[in-house]
Amino acid sequence: MGSVLAAASPSPAPAAVAAGGGQGVPGLVSVPPGFTMPSVSSVPPTSGSGQQTSDADSLLPNPGTYEECHRKCKEVFPLQMEGVRLVVNKGLSNHFQVSHTITLSTQGDSGYRFGATYVGSKQTGPTESFPVMVGDMDNTGSLNAQVIHQLTTAVRSKIAIQTQQHKFVNWQCDMEYRGEDFTSAVTLGNPDVLVGSGILVAHYLQSITPALALGGELVYHRRPGEEGTVTSLLGRYTGDNYVATLTLGGAGAHATYYHKANDQLQIGVEFEASTRIMTITTQDNWVVGATLEKKLVPLPLTLALGAFLNHRKNKFQCGFGVTIG
Amino acid sequence: MGSVLALSSGPGHQNWPFSTDPPPSRWDAHPAHWDSPPRWERRDGRLPNPGSFHSLHRSCKDVFPQQIEGVKMIINKTLSSFFKVSHTLHLSAVSPSYYRFHVEHLQSDDYSKDKDAPALIGEMDSSGSLNAHALLHLSERVRARTVFQTQQSQFVTWQFETEYRGNDFTAAVTVANPDVLRESVILVAHFLQSVSSGLVLGGELVYHRGRAEEGGILTLAGQYSRPNWVATLNAGKGGAHASYYHRANKQIQVGVEFEASTRTQETTTSFGYQMELPEANMVFRGMINSRCIIGGVLEKRLTPLPATLIMGAFVNHRGDKLQVGLGVNVG
Repeated sequence: MGSVLAAASPSPAPAAVAAGGGQGVPGLVSVPPGFTMPSVSSVPPTSGSGQQTSDADSLLPNPGTYEECHRKCKEVFPLQMEGVRLVVNKGLSNHFQVSHTITLSTQGDSGYRFGATYVGSKQTGPTESFPVMVGDMDNTGSLNAQVIHQLTTAVRSKIAIQTQQHKFVNWQCDMEYRGEDFTSAVTLGNPDVLVGSGILVAHYLQSITPALALGGELVYHRRPGEEGTVTSLLGRYTGDNYVATLTLGGAGAHATYYHKANDQLQIGVEFEASTRIMTITTQDNWVVGATLEKKLVPLPLTLALGAFLNHRKNKFQCGFGVTIG
Repeated sequence: MGSVLALSSGPGHQNWPFSTDPPPSRWDAHPAHWDSPPRWERRDGRLPNPGSFHSLHRSCKDVFPQQIEGVKMIINKTLSSFFKVSHTLHLSAVSPSYYRFHVEHLQSDDYSKDKDAPALIGEMDSSGSLNAHALLHLSERVRARTVFQTQQSQFVTWQFETEYRGNDFTAAVTVANPDVLRESVILVAHFLQSVSSGLVLGGELVYHRGRAEEGGILTLAGQYSRPNWVATLNAGKGGAHASYYHRANKQIQVGVEFEASTRTQETTTSFGYQMELPEANMVFRGMINSRCIIGGVLEKRLTPLPATLIMGAFVNHRGDKLQVGLGVNVG
């Protein structure tokens, strides 16, 4: 239903990197595969929303969160669809929504997934309510859970847990502070007191001009026997109908460009170079893919068809899915 | 099936539709328009011509969904009343992708089935495989058909068939893969006789000869039709094949099929149904069989456009495999 679907929830911290390490710490990956989040209205970075209205004091808008900078471009890209998927969404009340997903897969595992979303009654904005609790359970017993809460007008906190069957794979907690024209966040990932390991991520994003935002990320990871840091700098420029973002740092370079040509057409270009591998390789795997989603209007059904062709590896996959509700 | 080799062959047939062999070409069967029994039903109460031997099980087989895998785009173009062309592009995960060009030349247009006219049909693959059929009317009752099939550069099938349609019987002789150098040949003789208004009896005799061996197989066939249902049985030393087709109402047709083979010592029972919703421009075919394969294919005409969208999936529960297919037919 309306308010549940519109609950805002920032994505979990971006994939942390263990630049010097061997086997990576299970990354603090953004939305795990199959994890169904309610469609969120992310705080638009340039809309000037945030705690301030048009005061004479604050000329600069809040820049949004660090993770969202590349998101507008990434949202344009189609998901890799494979096999058959049936999703049934049911809104049980204004606060509670439930979803059932049945996936039949040609390559991976088929399964059933149950997801529930609860949105609380503390309204902080026209479309945002807190606390938001999202939970997801697989037929193998793997659980994904997130709790997001707005502690004060400026501080938002999130706890996320992910298990692979009975083993805990991810557990993290973060706190975000939104100032007038800056955002800072601290994330503690997979802290393990017994072993003495964990990841600490600090983000800072500052609006320099109404269009330009600069920021940085510091990742400190520690394991018994080794510890290290990785820093990255981020710059984002927003034009009338485009957004260009660049991330540079120890983990490599990542540049995205998002352009909204008109009401119907949006374009995204992405370039990624990673230093985790010995040589700098770019994402030129010659992958061609497309997804088509169509709402079948009289019925509350959405049909999605998708196909991906990897020319280099000569692999092809196609899939379709139906979403009800 | 039209190609005689398909009768005795079929290592892939057991695993249909999950076989790794290329799927039996749709041109293994006679083209549909050539099989519909000609309108020789006599008003004076005499028996009608029973049609050809290959189309005995056709009404039941048409109910089952066709194997579909990967993405397929078919563009059909009618260049004139007797010339049709079609381009097929297939992208697939399990078999190599291909482009296929198909052309048909008919003497009269399809809507007047009074005379099944000579037809030339050819199909060429992007790998060079050719499929060619020529159908000729030698006289009003005698027809001849020639089939050539190659797999890239090698000839796989070359067969010649002659069929005589009498008032109430059909007789056909087929010579398949005659090879003078290897001294091998397959000869097939078919005979079907209308015994009463609903009952057709007949038989098939297959004689195959190679350098080292020769043998014959006799199969008897019977078919009983009523306005709403058709039951067919083929039985012989090579196995048995029984099918039952039932038209429940204007929208639903149901088919049940049983196959047993003495060569592979296996039996399969399949159940399929077809549901047509002309108001929604949709046809759905579903099937389930004793090999734990469940499949469904949905075809929908996208009405303002001359296009048809096809979506299908087959699940083999025993082997835990899934095949998904999407297709668009234009024209």
